[in-house]
Amino acid sequence: MNLMADILIQVIIAFLAGSLLLGLHRKVMARVQKRPGPPIVQHLIHSLKFFFKETAIPKTVSKVFYIGIVFILALIWIVGVIVGPVAHDSLLILFGVYAVYKIVEHNSGSSSGSPYGKLSCVRAVLSAATELPLFAAIVFVYLITGTMNIGEIITYQSAHGPLVFTIPLAALMFFMLIITKSPYSPFAITKDKVLISGFETEHFGFLRGFMNFSEAIAWYVMLWVFLTIFFGPLNAVGYLIGMIVITFITGFINAATPLLSPNHSVMTQITIGAICFFGTILMIFTGVVA
Amino acid sequence: MLDYMIYILAFAVGSILGLVYSYKQHGEPFVAVTEFNMVMAVVSIFGWCLAFCSGNVILSAIGFLLGGFVMGERPGYGRKETAVGLIFAIGLFVLLKLTV
Repeated sequence: MNLMADILIQVIIAFLAGSLLLGLHRKVMARVQKRPGPPIVQHLIHSLKFFFKETAIPKTVSKVFYIGIVFILALIWIVGVIVGPVAHDSLLILFGVYAVYKIVEHNSGSSSGSPYGKLSCVRAVLSAATELPLFAAIVFVYLITGTMNIGEIITYQSAHGPLVFTIPLAALMFFMLIITKSPYSPFAITKDKVLISGFETEHFGFLRGFMNFSEAIAWYVMLWVFLTIFFGPLNAVGYLIGMIVITFITGFINAATPLLSPNHSVMTQITIGAICFFGTILMIFTGVVA
Repeated sequence: MLDYMIYILAFAVGSILGLVYSYKQHGEPFVAVTEFNMVMAVVSIFGWCLAFCSGNVILSAIGFLLGGFVMGERPGYGRKETAVGLIFAIGLFVLLKLTV
């Protein structure tokens, strides 16, 4: 199939699937908290609705930056789709996508001129602590498979079995990143409700629509990468079941866990990351990992 | 991947239509519905069976649209009907796999 058509199809799938999964996430959280919760399709409807709402631009914003950052946000996750599901390219590029996403989160808050956005922007710097476990997980995948290429990692797993059985602690580190990125996460310090909507507070109308669009794609891409590099070659049904299961698990965790304060959040992430890192090294040196 | 895009699009459109239809039918505040809607159950069974077992992109897409229609109803409605539809469809799918 034509590459451009493939990219377009994968981006549409990522947006729709990501939106439905985020809707499911809200539903699971609501049911755990004994509320009926919104329909599963609600996140998708919200995203579409924002594109038709009036877009107001506050006087305090840095205009070019404030508008441009939203398109950059959408663009980097589209790059994530291209590197991951479309091209099966390097994990390092996906790490770069996540790093740039953190910068965009930071700048989105700072460009708004709002105190809520600015505080969220400061917290985005702290929340970059999740990148360390992510980087460590990628390094371990490289050490075991000898490649950063997703296609080759899939081939390796089809011959040697899923990596989750070889380096489970590295998978746990990656899973922590997924929990961090999930809505209402205990580590979601940039979107703490005391900051209203954090770095998104001052983005209205179609700008917010783009942010929701990016969030949905981001959720899909991260679940896809996690399933692909730790659970071996999967078919479409495998991905679907895996994504639904992970969304259920994160929904349960987030519904039952209060938001941590920024310093506790960072310390918890780094502590879990360090335990998993040294645990995996121990497994490698003691010969548990072949 | 085009077929998966069509399926997910059909499911999303079906869910939105189901939500709109359901709110038109039931405007009252949230109630946890206990009765079983036979018509919706038939739609759900038919939809999910088509989606999983037809083996044809267009028929499967129609199936996802119908399945999504029932599943997408407003909170409190369509849950049991969806569960029955999915159980029937998965059962039929397994049966067909075993016999063919």
